[in-house]
Formats: sequence, structure tokens, C-alpha cells
Amino acid sequence: MKKHYTQQPRRRRIGIAIGSSVGIVALVGTLAGCAPAVAEAPVASDASVAIGLRLEPTNLDIAHTSGIALDQVLIDNVYEGLLTRTDDGNVDDLIAESHTVSDDGLVYTFAIRDGIVFHDGSELTVDDVVWSLSQVKDDETFSAHPEFASVESIAADGSNVVITLTQPNSSLLWSIAGRAGIVFDEQATNDLETTSNGTGPFSLVEWKQGDSITLERNDDYWGDTALVGEVVFQYFTDSSAEVNAVLAGDLDIATGIDANLVTQLEGNDDYDIVAGKTTDKFTLAFNNAKAPFTDIRVRQAIRQAIDNDALIAAVNGAGYNISGPIPDGDPGYEDLTAVDAYDPEAAKALLAEAGVSDLKLDLTIASFYGTTLTDVLTTQLADVGITLTVKPVEFATWLEDVYTNHDYDLSIVDHAESRDFQNWANPDYYFGYDNADVQALFAESQTALTPEDAAAKLQEAAKLVASDAPAEWLLVTKSNTAVAKGVTGFPADFTSARLNITDLAVK
Amino acid sequence: MVRFVLTRLVLLVLGLGIASILIFLTLRVLPGDVAQVIAGTDSSPERVAAIRDALGLNQPLPIQYLDWIGSALRLDLGNSLITGTPVIDELVEKSEVTIPLGLVSLVLGILIGLPLGIFAAVRHAKASGAIVSGIAQTVAAVPIVWAGLLLILVFGITLGILPAQGFPRAGWDEPGRAFLSLVLPALTIAGIEGAVLLRFVRSAVLEAIGQDYVRTAAAKGLTQNQALLRHGLPNVALSVISVLGIQVAGVVVGTVVIEQLFNLPGVGRMLVTDVGNRDLPKIQSELLVLTGLVLFVGFVVDLVHRLIDPRQREQTHD
Repeated sequence: MKKHYTQQPRRRRIGIAIGSSVGIVALVGTLAGCAPAVAEAPVASDASVAIGLRLEPTNLDIAHTSGIALDQVLIDNVYEGLLTRTDDGNVDDLIAESHTVSDDGLVYTFAIRDGIVFHDGSELTVDDVVWSLSQVKDDETFSAHPEFASVESIAADGSNVVITLTQPNSSLLWSIAGRAGIVFDEQATNDLETTSNGTGPFSLVEWKQGDSITLERNDDYWGDTALVGEVVFQYFTDSSAEVNAVLAGDLDIATGIDANLVTQLEGNDDYDIVAGKTTDKFTLAFNNAKAPFTDIRVRQAIRQAIDNDALIAAVNGAGYNISGPIPDGDPGYEDLTAVDAYDPEAAKALLAEAGVSDLKLDLTIASFYGTTLTDVLTTQLADVGITLTVKPVEFATWLEDVYTNHDYDLSIVDHAESRDFQNWANPDYYFGYDNADVQALFAESQTALTPEDAAAKLQEAAKLVASDAPAEWLLVTKSNTAVAKGVTGFPADFTSARLNITDLAVK
Repeated sequence: MVRFVLTRLVLLVLGLGIASILIFLTLRVLPGDVAQVIAGTDSSPERVAAIRDALGLNQPLPIQYLDWIGSALRLDLGNSLITGTPVIDELVEKSEVTIPLGLVSLVLGILIGLPLGIFAAVRHAKASGAIVSGIAQTVAAVPIVWAGLLLILVFGITLGILPAQGFPRAGWDEPGRAFLSLVLPALTIAGIEGAVLLRFVRSAVLEAIGQDYVRTAAAKGLTQNQALLRHGLPNVALSVISVLGIQVAGVVVGTVVIEQLFNLPGVGRMLVTDVGNRDLPKIQSELLVLTGLVLFVGFVVDLVHRLIDPRQREQTHD
């Protein structure tokens, strides 16, 4: 899994150059221009790299505490799992040297790599692996616990670990490449909430709460050692503070730059602005269990009243339209933008047909998302006769009112997790969306024996969800990362979910 | 004097006691809880309940309050529910940023507000005085965030002579860099608080100029300025000290905003994060300490007032 991060943006640039080149001279020139960069191998150094991030974890306990801010910094860098995720959506062996799946999809065998040591110096054993996985299976306070619902047993077999399932689970490898597969040291007594003891290429030196997390190269790493000596993740709660830090040259890399502030960095000679993919789905959820949303015509009317392109323009083009529950990059993705596309006249007609007039709706949104989206939505819905009252609340209040008590009309939240289709198959989820066919298709995708079959079932289910209009998918964001010239090996895509810095190097 | 100090002390303790109940109850009214924050958006109600149970959030409120206040009386401020770290450790660490920031802001504010306020009053009939008070009027109305952004743009980015954001990770082990980090944030708070102070000083001095004792002193041969300096200013000092007491609270509020803008790991930023996470035991102890600080400053102001006000001093001879 080495190197591909750096290759991707470069390839894209070459592609554009070829398309626009008139003659062969230009083509040769472009390729020649790229050649030195490709040939030059990254050099290891003791450099310290400062990386700006937006969302700080609440604590460091990746076993119990939810939130991708933890996965972003700790997985692959500090903690390692049996498997890891590649940026093209596959899984790769990591602590497992290899893995096999039985033909009936019920028995997973992982051969555990030899010679791995934890940061505290103790050796990783097969027992550590069995213990770590068993905790996920048995302890319901573990955040990954539901992902092991179909696991029957976890056992050691020589240097192998064998997981046996009660029914096939097409998501199991993906889960094991996430939190569920992290291997902890059974003997360790460190405080998980503020310290860590992993096996990754970096060890955690310091977490200065409300400020920064510092990682240091693990010189005893079992694989290729990291190419920089130290990485400091600096957290910015204020979006302009992060941009100011870039402008002042305080950061080597800044992730998650506010789309409406990115123009301040254009033309800056010291940084490249890299656009990346995300799975951040800004979802305008309807309370499907409650009137007037029990009438599909009202739901469709709201979807048709919304002009996604105008929303995307309002965030400076940092997004794309999906109009369905699955983003590009996740299995089962399909362009569903034709379903309930923008058509205000049709929306008005549907509302009239449903006998709804002078509709007044509350929109509950966590205040840190700002007002750009809600301002545009208020105007767009007013055009079809719907009066929107925006209620910005703290995220904790949103969790209580919307997520737990389902007390809302409309809600906007960024569902940032990848492969989270299960929420549409869960009638108890805050969407209140209950379609037995979708649930059946999702269950079939889960028990499918091949990834292709699983994706096909998901695609079918997603199409069904989109046609039921239980929500409007406003946009999937594109991320903006500022990378200082001379810094290589930083991932461009999915940086809010995973930030693998194994290949990070400084010239 | 002893009786005066004792009464004030009793009032201080009573005030803190009432504040502790208010803080405790207000926080319980906030919707959402820490278990939901930990569990996030992909968890079942069962998991939230399990976390809530593990954290001991199901205890009755009076018991939670007594536990908290009982420990606080033994100077134990409790632990964060989310990280398990002692609140006192976090407060001490964050105070390394916030206390110097607050003090420098206050001192700078006085250095700006006091002399210029006197100047504006003495020259109130002249163009220079009018210009100074006009500028103060404008600056006092500027939103603090905007003022901060402007200073960052000019000194941090365009000129590049002062840090635009952040605090060194090594803290005061890097004294030069640490101090420089606080210059722009402190200037932002001090500029606005100083302008407010300037207007107070100006009107207090103006009032003093019109007083009989200053006129009498001038009639006995002192120049206007000498009369003001000897007899007017000690009286002005009284009202300025009262205003300073209020301004301490203003500086505390200012640091909450300014620490976000300048990305400083201080008490204000920590408080905002903790409220977002609903880490109630931590927030309530932090608020108690801050309230205690503001009440204590009020107590000191009362004492100083008593000491320098001749009218109040005489009462103590009774």
C-alpha cells in the first residue's frame, strides 16, 4: 500500500495535460516536467511536520468513544488492525500476514505476523489478537460491538486466529480493517483515555487537550519505518484561525479548509491546494414517522424544491450531488440525481395535490455547520410556499432532541462515516424510515458471499430508498487540503476519516 | 476594619455557595448528555444506557451535588468524565495561557485607558481631546472578533512580525515565543477594554474638574492641572477601581472568544469544548473557580475602596 497516495494527484494532472495538449511537443514537455518528481524518492529525515486538523477527539479511547476524529489520527499511525483500508476502498493485510475466507463465508482465518512489538516493548501475541477481538464481541460498550453481531467464536489456532460466524457477513473484512480489528496489548495497564500503546509506525508522545496531539516515529516498527521524525496534529476550532496559520506559514499541511475561505490561499506560492474525496453526506432528514412527512408527495415536493447545484455553488463548489444514500467510493454507488431532480413547479403541484398549503417546518441543525446551507434552503423552500424556521443547536442538543427523542421536522447533519447504509435499514434510527423491502435487501447484501453481490444488493436498496424520498441528500463535500511545497506522501482523499501518514516525507 | 473584612468574607462565601447551586442546576437543564456524546450517531439506546450507567450518571441530583461540593470543599475539583484527568490539572495547565493573557490585557488596557482618558478630559474643549474620545467611542463599538482578525492580518500575516495563532507546545519553557504569542490576543482585548476604560476615566475626570475642591485649589494658586493632579485624581481613582473590578469579568469573557480566534489552549477554549461535550463535572468546577475569581476581585475592590476612600476610612474609627 506504499506510495499510491502521492501518485494519484500527479496522475490526474498528467491526464489533464494530455487532454489539452495540442502537439506532441507539449506532451513530451509535460511528462518531462513530471519526471524528476516521480524519480525522486522520498528521503527519510527527523523533520517535524505540523498538520492542522478541525475536529479534536473528546478522548483517546478508540475502543469505546465514537467519532471519526479518533480513527483519523490513531488508526494505521498509532494503532494497527489485522487489516487496513486502502484509499480505493479495498482491504489489505497488516498485522495479519494473510487471510482466507471459507467458501461458505463462515470461517475467516488470519495468519498473525511474527515479530511485532507494542510501543511499550512487549511482543504482540496471538492471544492479544484473540483477546482484542473477543472484547469487541462481548462488551457492548465497545463502539464496534454491533459489527460483530454475527460472530460466533474467536479462537487461536497455532499462529492463526479463526473467526467463525453464524451467517455470512460481507462487511466483516471492512469492519476488521476498522476499529473492530485493532489489536491491543492484553497485559498493558495504560490509561486508554489519555495514552495509547499500539503497534503502528508512530507512537503517541503527548496529547495536549484542546491543542495538539504529538506522534513520534517508532524506530522499532516491524515494517518500513516512517520518513519523518515527528508529527504534530494541531487542532483548530475556528476555521479562520486555521487559514491564518497557513498564511503565516505555521503549518506544513492543513486539512478540512473551509470552502468559503479557500480563496484566501489561492495564488499562495508556498502551498498546493489539493481537492479530495470524502464520504461526508450532508443529509436533510425528514421525520418520516410524523405528519406531514408520512405523505410521500410532501417528501418528494421538498426534494424537488431543492436545487443542489445552487447549494454546491454556495459552498464554493466544494461538493457534488448524489441524491441517494450511497456516496461515490462506497459499494453500491449509482448516480441517482435524476430521482426527484430540481423542479419547483412540480413541487408546488405535488404539495397542492397532497392538500398541503402554507406549510411551516422547523429545521434543527448543529450550529457548527454555519448558515450557508440553511440560508439557501430557506430561500428555495420559500419559493414553493414552505416556511422554514432554522433552529441552530449545539451538537449535544441535536443528539438529545433529534437523534434520541426523534423530536424534529427536518434536520441537517453530516453523516461522515463510510458504508453507513445500515441507518436506512433501521426503522428505529432517527430518520423513522421503515421499508421492509429495503431492510430485506440490506440483510441480503450483508449475507452475500461476494463483494460484487453485496454491492449489487446495496445498489438496489439505495435506489429504493431514493425513490421513497425519506431525506434529501444535499451534497457530498469535497475536501480542501493545503500542502506545503516539498511535503509528499500525504493522502488526498477521505482525510476526515483516515489520515495514514506512513508515507509522509519532507524534502 | 476587621468586622468589615469579616462581613465581606462571609458574603463572598455565601455568594460562592449560591453560585454553586445555580451552576449545578443550570447545567442539568442543558439538553443532551455526555453518554450520548461518547456514543455518537451510530449507537443504540442500549449502548448509551450502558455508558451512562458506567459513568454513574444515574445517581439522584442531590447526591451528585453533595458529592461535588463536598469534594470541592476539600479542594478536590473532581475528574473529567471523558478523559478521567483531574480538573485541577487541566485548569492549571490552561491557566498558563489564560492568566498571563488576562493580566497583560488588563495592564495594557489600563496603560491605554488611564492616561488617554485623563488627556481627553483635560483637553475636552480642544481638537486633540475630541479626536481621542472620538476614536475611543469607535474602538469600543468594534466587535472583538473583527478587531482580532484585523490585527492578525496586519501584524501576523502582512508584516509577519508577530505570531498569528497558537501557543508553543513547550509553553513557558520557550518564554520568548510564549510571550510573543500573547501579544496580539492581549492587544485585541486591551484595545477594546482600554477604550471602554478611557471613556469612564474621561467622564470621571471631567466631573472632577467641575468640582468645587478643584476650583478652590486652583483659586489658591495652583494651576488647573496641578489642582487636578493633587486633589482631583485621588477621587477619580475610586471610580476607576470600581470599573476595573467589572472589567475583570469583561476580560474573562473576552478570553473565551479570543482563545478560539487565536487558537490558544486556554481556559476559555476548554470551557467551550467541555460544554459541547457535556462534561458536567468538569464544567461545573471550572465555572466555580471562575466565579470564585470574579467574586474575589470584587472583594479586593471593596477592600481597596475602603482603604483609599477618606469618607469610608473615617467610619472605621467608630
